[in-house]
Amino acid sequence: MGSATLPDGRWVISIAGHRIPDKELIGGKAWSIAKMGTLGLPVPPAFVVTTRACVAYLQTGAFPTGLVEEIAAGIAWLESATDRRFGSGPRPLLVSVRSGAPVSMPGMMDTILNLGVNDVTEQSLATDCSDDRFARDTHRRFIELYAAIVLKVDSAVLGNVEDLTSWREAIASAAGVPLPGNVVEQLHGAVRAVFESWNSRRARRYREHHGVPDHFGTAVVVQAMVFGNLDEQSGTGVLFTRNPVTGERSVFGEFLPKAQGEDVVSGRHTPLPLDEMRNHTPRAFAELMRAAQLLERENGDVQDIEFTVERGRLFLLQTRVAKRAPLAAVRIAAEMVREGIAEPDSAFAKLTCEQVRHVLSPRLPSGTADSAVILARGEGASYGIGCGVVVTDPDEAEMRAHGGEDVVLVRATTSPNDIHGMIAARAIVTEQGGSTSHAAVVGRALGRPVIVGCGAGNVMPLAGRTVTVDGGSGVVYADRLKLLVPAEDADTALADLLRWAELRSPVKVAAAPPPHAVLFDLDAVDDVVNPDSLRRFLSGIDLGSALHGRVLSSETAVAACVASGATLLIANPRLPVLLAAIRAVAERSAAHSKDV
Amino acid sequence: MSLHLVLHALAVKKHADAPVLAEFTGLSQADVARLLGEAAGSGRVVAAQGKYVLAPLARLALDGHYAREYANVRANATFLQAYENFERINVQLKTLITDWQTIEVGGARVANDHSDASYDIRIVDRLGNLHERTDRILAQLVQGLPRLEYYRRKLTEALERAEDGHSEWVSDARLPSYHTLWFELHEDLLRILGRRRAE
Repeated sequence: MGSATLPDGRWVISIAGHRIPDKELIGGKAWSIAKMGTLGLPVPPAFVVTTRACVAYLQTGAFPTGLVEEIAAGIAWLESATDRRFGSGPRPLLVSVRSGAPVSMPGMMDTILNLGVNDVTEQSLATDCSDDRFARDTHRRFIELYAAIVLKVDSAVLGNVEDLTSWREAIASAAGVPLPGNVVEQLHGAVRAVFESWNSRRARRYREHHGVPDHFGTAVVVQAMVFGNLDEQSGTGVLFTRNPVTGERSVFGEFLPKAQGEDVVSGRHTPLPLDEMRNHTPRAFAELMRAAQLLERENGDVQDIEFTVERGRLFLLQTRVAKRAPLAAVRIAAEMVREGIAEPDSAFAKLTCEQVRHVLSPRLPSGTADSAVILARGEGASYGIGCGVVVTDPDEAEMRAHGGEDVVLVRATTSPNDIHGMIAARAIVTEQGGSTSHAAVVGRALGRPVIVGCGAGNVMPLAGRTVTVDGGSGVVYADRLKLLVPAEDADTALADLLRWAELRSPVKVAAAPPPHAVLFDLDAVDDVVNPDSLRRFLSGIDLGSALHGRVLSSETAVAACVASGATLLIANPRLPVLLAAIRAVAERSAAHSKDV
Repeated sequence: MSLHLVLHALAVKKHADAPVLAEFTGLSQADVARLLGEAAGSGRVVAAQGKYVLAPLARLALDGHYAREYANVRANATFLQAYENFERINVQLKTLITDWQTIEVGGARVANDHSDASYDIRIVDRLGNLHERTDRILAQLVQGLPRLEYYRRKLTEALERAEDGHSEWVSDARLPSYHTLWFELHEDLLRILGRRRAE
């Protein structure tokens, strides 16, 4: 790709890799592309129509003078950088168009992909990739996105998608305006749609509620698309810098040779483990490994990186902080501190009390599946273990739970009429339905273990039996099984975190009260879930007392104790409460510095 | 019709007090209180701490009356078409709520602990898109049965609370959250049309 630079215009700025323009001018997305570029990492070339242009457009309802010319210069720059042509062959330039406000908010325009494909360039693309079907799918996807995002028409219900000409006509007549065939007009339409999305109902409400000024405006990122399906030296994939399930310190990911990003979703190809990429494109693989390490160090956290290899050349499309399972979160937090990548304070800021609680929650000992009697299997839809007597009627479940019994609610399916029984139950099991069924959705909202889809007639006959439900693996066991409660100092990662947390916590947290301590049960306070009543109670007692109660599992309750000057909390496990206390102080000082 | 409507409202809402039932049915609170008094007198509803529930036999009797009460709606082609569209969008809503409650990590789904604000914003944004499409379907349903306007209003309220950052209004089962109302609407439509829930 060429390297001639584009001089900064009044409205358009190139993201060329040697500097990072002001975030308020180019928005968050372009800012992170620019950031990767300055680290020397390969990103597809892009230019930004700035927030300044958006503000000017919104004042007059028309493109400001010079914007059309500057966009054309931006496109010419992308053409020379990629050696492709916008709107013509033999190697057509396709771009993505994204909104990029300085702060992310709802209601902003979704991404338009494949802009630049039309009847003519579809042919060139088919030749360039030697794949007619890919070129047609690319064209169809563009029309679908442009119709939905720019013309606000649901194209899926209109006409025959196999016949592009009649489909386009149907879309145009539903929209009341034509779908332009000219790629420059399409680009202008997309830029206008991004500008206008700044004033969508949702974006306006969000700004009003979160105090984001209306005059910021949004930028538009126009980025060259790269192709992972051109030849055997091309491909696309995703990489995690550490294993997001176990936390293990080794890269983890998938690679699809000779494929484009959308192929992953369509299921046309089966992805390979990332290691296989070493054989397909060894140089790009080595470069990717270096980039992964650099991005993890630079951002101080595990990264989730999307990339494409085009004819042997690596391009990074996006990097973000990786999502992780609770076990991985704990392990990663501890190891990042030990490796010197993160400070304990920032590691704690990324670890939630919920994640720690999850890792420390009771579980079935390993080997249970071999020794215990399995009564039924289904799809585990909400994590956790629940034991009790099987009840098949929600009213009965509520009544017996009220009488102090542990019950497991079993139904063929659940409906809103069953909610009181679901709240009362220790676990919920259904015969029909999958992970999006009512039982699964409501059970997760209530934090109950749920198994769905055990099969007709397989669990309703269990009424009256005592069972143990494992909502993670989807197994119903006979009887009340013994649970294993993980110790928070048995694991080195947890033990390290506990030690660092104790040094930072504003309040002492003990597993049991010291002898002769004055003990207060916070659960006995009237309206204890309300932090104000908790504070009122605390203002009337000796703050050297030991405070305990189930309410300490709530972060707001711990924050209220810290704010009131409590000195000793009793809780087991201790780490989630210590984390909540540290977080309370951090949030208070953040709020304080904002006021000042 | 009015007594059936109040009993129907209880069948959908399960436990409810008179003001909630008045809002649901569009009847005045005085009318609802009178009808509830009548129904309690004949053992069709049971009062407990200011809230009412249907008696089990009344529930069965109620089910037998829908065909007559909603004969017009069941013969209304526009209404039926809108209902079919609702069933289609219902599949999308359930997927969306699942994405709200769980996230994918290395190929496995785990509980969303809502620690990533930008992830949550994207889902609420998708909910806003889905709401706009649903609202068009609801407008058609309301033409056939005006009391369904209740759901349009309440769904918008729940959405706006979620958009304002009160994320429990997306799917908390203990609140009239977006998902709670959606399921009540679905239950309501199934009863009106005499259909059964698939799962």
